[in-house]
Amino acid sequence: MAARMKLKLKTVFVLYFMVSLMGLIYALMQLGQHCDCTERDLPKDRAISRLQEELYRLQGQIRQLEKLKQPEKQPPKASLPTIFVITPTYARLVQKAELTRLSLTFLHVPQLHWIVVEDSPRRTPLVTNFLMKSGLTYTHLYVPTAKERKLQEGDPSWLKPRGVEQRNEGLRWLREDRRAQPGEDGQQGVVYFADDDNTYSPQLFEEMRSTQRVSVWPVGLVGGMKFESPVVEGGKVVRFHTGWRPSRPFPMDMAGFAVSLKLVLTNPDACFDGEAPMGFLESSLLKGLVTVDELEPKADNCTKVLVWHTRTEKPKMKREEALQVQGLGSDPAVEV
Amino acid sequence: MPKRRDILAIVLIVLPWTLLITVWHQSAIAPLLAIRKACHHLVKEIFIIPERLAVHHHRLSDEGAEGKRETGGQDSKEYCASDKDIVEVVRTEYVYTRPPPWSDVLPTIHIITPTYSRPVQKAELTRIANTFLHVPNLHWILIEDSQRRTPLVTGLLRETGLNYTHLNVETPKSFKIRGDTRDPRIPRGTMQRNLALRWLRETFKNNTSQPGIVYFADDDNSYSLELFEEMRSTRKVSVWPVAFVGGLRYESPKVNAAGKVYGWKAVFDPHRPFAIDMAGFAINLKLILSKPQAYFKLRGVKGGYQESSLLRELVTLNDLEPKAANCTKILVWHTRTEKPILVNEGKKGFTDPNMEI
Repeated sequence: MAARMKLKLKTVFVLYFMVSLMGLIYALMQLGQHCDCTERDLPKDRAISRLQEELYRLQGQIRQLEKLKQPEKQPPKASLPTIFVITPTYARLVQKAELTRLSLTFLHVPQLHWIVVEDSPRRTPLVTNFLMKSGLTYTHLYVPTAKERKLQEGDPSWLKPRGVEQRNEGLRWLREDRRAQPGEDGQQGVVYFADDDNTYSPQLFEEMRSTQRVSVWPVGLVGGMKFESPVVEGGKVVRFHTGWRPSRPFPMDMAGFAVSLKLVLTNPDACFDGEAPMGFLESSLLKGLVTVDELEPKADNCTKVLVWHTRTEKPKMKREEALQVQGLGSDPAVEV
Repeated sequence: MPKRRDILAIVLIVLPWTLLITVWHQSAIAPLLAIRKACHHLVKEIFIIPERLAVHHHRLSDEGAEGKRETGGQDSKEYCASDKDIVEVVRTEYVYTRPPPWSDVLPTIHIITPTYSRPVQKAELTRIANTFLHVPNLHWILIEDSQRRTPLVTGLLRETGLNYTHLNVETPKSFKIRGDTRDPRIPRGTMQRNLALRWLRETFKNNTSQPGIVYFADDDNSYSLELFEEMRSTRKVSVWPVAFVGGLRYESPKVNAAGKVYGWKAVFDPHRPFAIDMAGFAINLKLILSKPQAYFKLRGVKGGYQESSLLRELVTLNDLEPKAANCTKILVWHTRTEKPILVNEGKKGFTDPNMEI
């Protein structure tokens, strides 16, 4: 009797073991195949994309509100000097495209404060909305250029200096804003003039962060050459490598130097002179601030090109203009 | 006294079940966990931000009041279904890590960019890389029009930290010079794009489960981040408007009330099968793999018909998915960079040729 009982139990065990082994093998085989989870995951992906979009939007809103209550708030990373980038901009077809790709570069740079100054009698909705969504810390200013100083349709780009009033307005706001923020930390920073059609590598901003007075570096594709650059010997700038009017006090492009905030604040009258002859705009600011001897070379003693003076073509609008004459132009409500 | 036989029996019973449970747990729960974590992470930020906004409003109106601290934790739990190991991350930095961490659930966007050596090349690639560094799950396929891979591009790709593939194929000189005078456009970049398509087909087997989207991005255009999120949900081929093409402010597909594409808003030959620019569409990887004969036509392609030469082998007009709010928003601009005037270089070259620009 006992033997038969044991036998039955034994078969039960064996059966049980076989079943579990089968189950395990089945599960392992299931694991081997990738499951087609697309249907299940797609709504979740959509939710995530939607959430990310909302996130960008809300981050933009925070930026704006933080701007409103700036005096009370101290930046959390007080150790890293802020880079104040002053960008003059004006309305034209490629404006939004230029600002978009510029902001995507700036998003890689920590502690950057973008000061956008429009050449316009008021703030345009395009730039306002764009800055809100950009996710950057920004200040939105505007000042119109006087009519006689503005370039007309057929004028070559070098005829009149551009962006002078706008850059000066940026400097003025910066001085006013910093005066309202006493304390050592508020005076630390670097001021850089960035045009909206140039190309910058994020490394450039890390190089300029340590500026004590005025730092300089090479600029690519400018002055009719592959690059213009200060020539450095023994860690000091001795002369400038440029193909055009090297006798200027500072034969550099706007994108080739940065000024420390301290220097800007201690020289409250230093600004760009719109009446300066062509090519002397940068010198008109710098000659009151620093001598060539005091310039700090960056970018590996001025041997690397980290910024390029690119220019964007004006898009051909022949067909658009033809359509507009017929009253069939593209929908102006669609923002380009 | 427990007999050895009994112990053995018990072990034999318990072992397969424990193995089963651990394996099952790993395979089924892990992807769900990733989604949950991503969802939580995002929701945490979204729900914290309004709290902070509320705090700001509060402070602006009433100076003395003390703002609330983060109480968004509760909400995000409800939103994302309960999950005990929620990560309490409060992000105060808005600087994105370069590049963003790879997600297990987002489809990969394969970006095909042909490039060629010219003075502005490094500048263009730098700023386009700066854009791509914000896009999660991006794979950049860069194809040089050159006999061998140049050190400039090799170094640049390595420094960006992007996920990339570096290829090269030289367009024969006979293609580069305008052959047919009636041909207004040289098929630039065609061989390079075809090489990338071939690489994709060789790398990904036909019934791969890895979802992917293929997009042709030229190195001088301007892209917004929203564009990449729009194209991620492409099932076959998705389309959207492109600015500054065809001599217009923008060209766009015509979308009817049912959300289907029925025509093209263009002036330059709107009767092309696909009157769209290279930057105006994206293709699901599965479609590319399932039609291995579909390539861009090299010879005998009229100006403006290059995109059609590929697309007509893949989809019909009816299958197109309009994006960008039913093709009413501009998310990509066909900008072109001016050729820099290098007049001061002179015949022998004024500047140091060893300096890379």
